[in-house]
Amino acid sequence: MPTFNKYVQIEDKPSMVPAGLEKAITAAAAKDTRIIAVLEDMGFPGMLWFKKNCPERMIECGIAEQNAAVMAAGLAAEGFIPIINSFLFADVGRAYNQIRQSILVDRFNVKFIGREGAWGEPGISHNTIEGIGSTRPLPNLVILNPADAVEAEKAAEAMLQYVGPVLLRQESSPPPIKIFSDDLPFDIGKAFSLKEGRDATIIATGYMLTEAVRALDILEKDGLNVGLLDMCTIKPLDDKAIIKAAEKTGAIVTAENGTVIGGLGDGVAAVLAENLPTPIVKIGIEDEFSQSGKMSPKDELKEHFGLRPEDIAVSVKECISKKEKLRKKRK
Amino acid sequence: MAHHEKLVKDLEKKANQIRRDCFEIFGSTQMGHAGGTMSIIELITALYFHHMKFDPKNVDWPERDRLVLSKAHCCEAIYAALVELGVYPRKTLGTYYCFGSPFQGHADRWCTPGIDYSGGSLGQGLSFAIGMALAEKMKSVVKDVNIGQGGFLQRYVVRFDPLYRSYCILGDGECHEGMIWEAAMFAAKYKLDNLIAIIDYNKFSLDGPTNEIMNVEPLVEKWKSFGWWVTEVDGHDIRQILDALELASKLYGDYRPKCIIAHTIKGHGIPAWEREHIHLGRGAVIMKGIEEGRKKYADV
Repeated sequence: MPTFNKYVQIEDKPSMVPAGLEKAITAAAAKDTRIIAVLEDMGFPGMLWFKKNCPERMIECGIAEQNAAVMAAGLAAEGFIPIINSFLFADVGRAYNQIRQSILVDRFNVKFIGREGAWGEPGISHNTIEGIGSTRPLPNLVILNPADAVEAEKAAEAMLQYVGPVLLRQESSPPPIKIFSDDLPFDIGKAFSLKEGRDATIIATGYMLTEAVRALDILEKDGLNVGLLDMCTIKPLDDKAIIKAAEKTGAIVTAENGTVIGGLGDGVAAVLAENLPTPIVKIGIEDEFSQSGKMSPKDELKEHFGLRPEDIAVSVKECISKKEKLRKKRK
Repeated sequence: MAHHEKLVKDLEKKANQIRRDCFEIFGSTQMGHAGGTMSIIELITALYFHHMKFDPKNVDWPERDRLVLSKAHCCEAIYAALVELGVYPRKTLGTYYCFGSPFQGHADRWCTPGIDYSGGSLGQGLSFAIGMALAEKMKSVVKDVNIGQGGFLQRYVVRFDPLYRSYCILGDGECHEGMIWEAAMFAAKYKLDNLIAIIDYNKFSLDGPTNEIMNVEPLVEKWKSFGWWVTEVDGHDIRQILDALELASKLYGDYRPKCIIAHTIKGHGIPAWEREHIHLGRGAVIMKGIEEGRKKYADV
């Protein structure tokens, strides 16, 4: 078992992101009457649970995401803090231009929770992968992508304290394991280093942090000292932490549950290309749509997309060999 | 609701002044959304200079009435009104379309204090006005109102008058947008009787006659069937506009959102623009219209 930072407390049990979000939002809404749930007919995976404590602050818009987004902007203009929770392709994808025009231009304090990721039974329509890539170019938007229940709770708290539009990505994936201790410090825009390394650094976000933690075991057995950086804030990216990791290890592997085009990997690659050119390998979904897939007894999608710990380990070794080749060339 | 002759006369004069200011705006760039701007001049005049609660010295006054110009390309009319109200100096008229100017190509709340909504992408303003109307309801909650199954907001304030009203000016071509009808359903469900939508029904959009491009008729019946109170006016008749606004406001408490369909003429008052049903005009056609307009409205 590798040695981790003191705020890392790994337990091999499911630690669900929605549970963390519900806990943080319920607590905040009890204190702050400006917080409003804007629903899009998504049932309990949405925010129907908000009805239990604050029924009078729950606005049901039906399956009409465009109106919901702009109506929420009107509420925010009057000082409320609306939260919209749905599939990312619906609350953000369907209302993309509405968010751009009516929310981001004026930096209205609207919070989006969007569910997406490569995994799931629903198939190509719901297992969307382009959420990060499609929203990263939008100015004034903060994008968070928590990895487990603890980080989700901290991220949701930070999201509600921050004044301005935020997209919190809630991944559809196999259950993540518990990674962080309950006193995890959280700042928007700051990467969290779980472990410093020597040979390479994995920069992971969301569910892929779970797979990366598992990959470290394999790599350690193979005698490699690999660092792990958790990039919960996708935008603004923590450039300093990325450059620091590259300086220290000279090889970077990114891992995300989404398309590699325009996603975390591309963001990291751009930072490195401009500041400190470093060998990099991006793990994620190559340029293709996802599809339906069972998670047990065998995780079909994980294998298909190459997102298993052993796949990460292979990528890390590939990146290290790239680094060594480059060093030889430079000599 | 007979309005005093003098008030109507004064507002008509003001409307003509707003037209002249718009000529200045268009003239400075030889460009502008002249047709749709001319069709809402009387509506804007009636709202800003008589009907709406608006304090030029305190444009962020929390109790001001909100005005969402959903057809935000016709912001020239509001810019002129804001200049006439003294919110911006007259010389600002000449900075339209300029980098850093408060008078941007489309209405922008961030750059232009006094503007409530940043628009430009059509169809969204009504939902924004609805959000503001709903916020008014939620700000002071004292009485239970049953809004039926599926509606969770059940405690509404009952006042003789709302804290503020939310107005929204829509184009007729904008009613092609699907989300207008999402918004129409929502406003009726949440009984937003503090919301007044005004449709500038000038019958023309960019490619030709609105109803040939995509028929919006029967418009009155559509809004009625969505649960709205609807009336029709001649959108260039100040007296009719004032009467409709007053009636729509007095009906507050009937739990229905209001829709005023204003029949207007694109490019109203300027033959060169009326003939061509001008949308975004540039160069010669703009300058020709300005010349005609300056003559016609010189002394009135």
